Amino acid sequence: MEKNSKKAMIITLATIGIISALLLSFVYEWTTPYIQANQAQKQKQAINEVLPGVVEVKKVEKNGNIFYEGYDANGNRVGVAFTSTGGGYNGVIEVMIGVNLEQNQIYKISILNHQETPGLGARITGKEFKSNFNNQPFGNYNVVKTPPSKEMQVQAIAGATISSESVTEIIESGLDKVTSAYGGGN
Amino acid sequence: MALDLKEMFSDFKNGLWAENPIIRLVIGMCPTLAVTNTTENGLAMGLATSFVLISSEIVISLIKKLIPANVRIPSYILIIATFVTFVDYFLKAFYPGIAESLSIFVPLIVVNCLILGRQEAFASQHSTPRAIADGVGMGLGFTWVLVLLGAIREFFGMGSIFGLTLLGEWYRPMVIMVLPAGAFITLGILVGIMNYISREGK
Repeated sequence: MEKNSKKAMIITLATIGIISALLLSFVYEWTTPYIQANQAQKQKQAINEVLPGVVEVKKVEKNGNIFYEGYDANGNRVGVAFTSTGGGYNGVIEVMIGVNLEQNQIYKISILNHQETPGLGARITGKEFKSNFNNQPFGNYNVVKTPPSKEMQVQAIAGATISSESVTEIIESGLDKVTSAYGGGN
Repeated sequence: MALDLKEMFSDFKNGLWAENPIIRLVIGMCPTLAVTNTTENGLAMGLATSFVLISSEIVISLIKKLIPANVRIPSYILIIATFVTFVDYFLKAFYPGIAESLSIFVPLIVVNCLILGRQEAFASQHSTPRAIADGVGMGLGFTWVLVLLGAIREFFGMGSIFGLTLLGEWYRPMVIMVLPAGAFITLGILVGIMNYISREGK
């Protein structure tokens, strides 16, 4: 068979392709359980972070959105956690929000995924910024550049106003989602 | 086949300085500039690229006689892509933190011209032991520059190295250093210094 014949070329590429696909399917089989476990773990951690004292979590679907209802040891519903996503400065930001529906209050928030600038926007994952939302009532928030003096104010991260405002908007739209799903306002 | 150790050592040394991929050949700039905002990212990127480079140099030097010249580039890309996908899954499964911070730049190792360049320029024309020496040398050469870049940028941009805070609260971080502009500035200065050093040596 001639070295540069069409047949030789096709056979070479096909063989390499088949071997590669075969090897990768093994790698995929091997790593997928770990990758899924990592994601589940991350989500579980985030739910525990945003809902206090929860021992059992139930996954519910309402209006096409997924909510995680957290129950305490006595079977009382403590609150609901859910994710909300939106655009940030560099890419999509995914936020886990834990809310108390009885008092229309946020418990806490946690950032699941983001691509913000390291050292600037990435500080949305820091405690200092996230605590802005601790125990805030539902509603529209104002992003301010000084330490918050009253309710509904969120202090922006210095040098990362866009990231701060994005997270605030993502949370506001998430709250709309949860109140409409749970027939909020009462 | 006798192993010529002296030859292998010179292939290895080549990548570290004389033909260092970043400061001499100036290839593989995309990951160099994009992920070196912290020392850890630089190291992870360097090691991931080195793994792909060495593995594909081994495979290609072994099967170089079987590949028809007309389809050698697509064959190399297929082999490289296989190793890159492996690294991508591996990092996601066992080092999710690193996988997250490198994000899209792991799959993009496929198109790092350093890797394809070495296959074409070296692995396809030399024996497997020499290809390994070249891969290790080039990989380490790529890695040490990425780590240095990452360290400089993290030090000035965040006051820390490998996430360890070295400069106290009094230090106001030069934010530009962790932004893309800081990558260009640092790389430019670094290449300048390296050129100066090798000119002095002559």
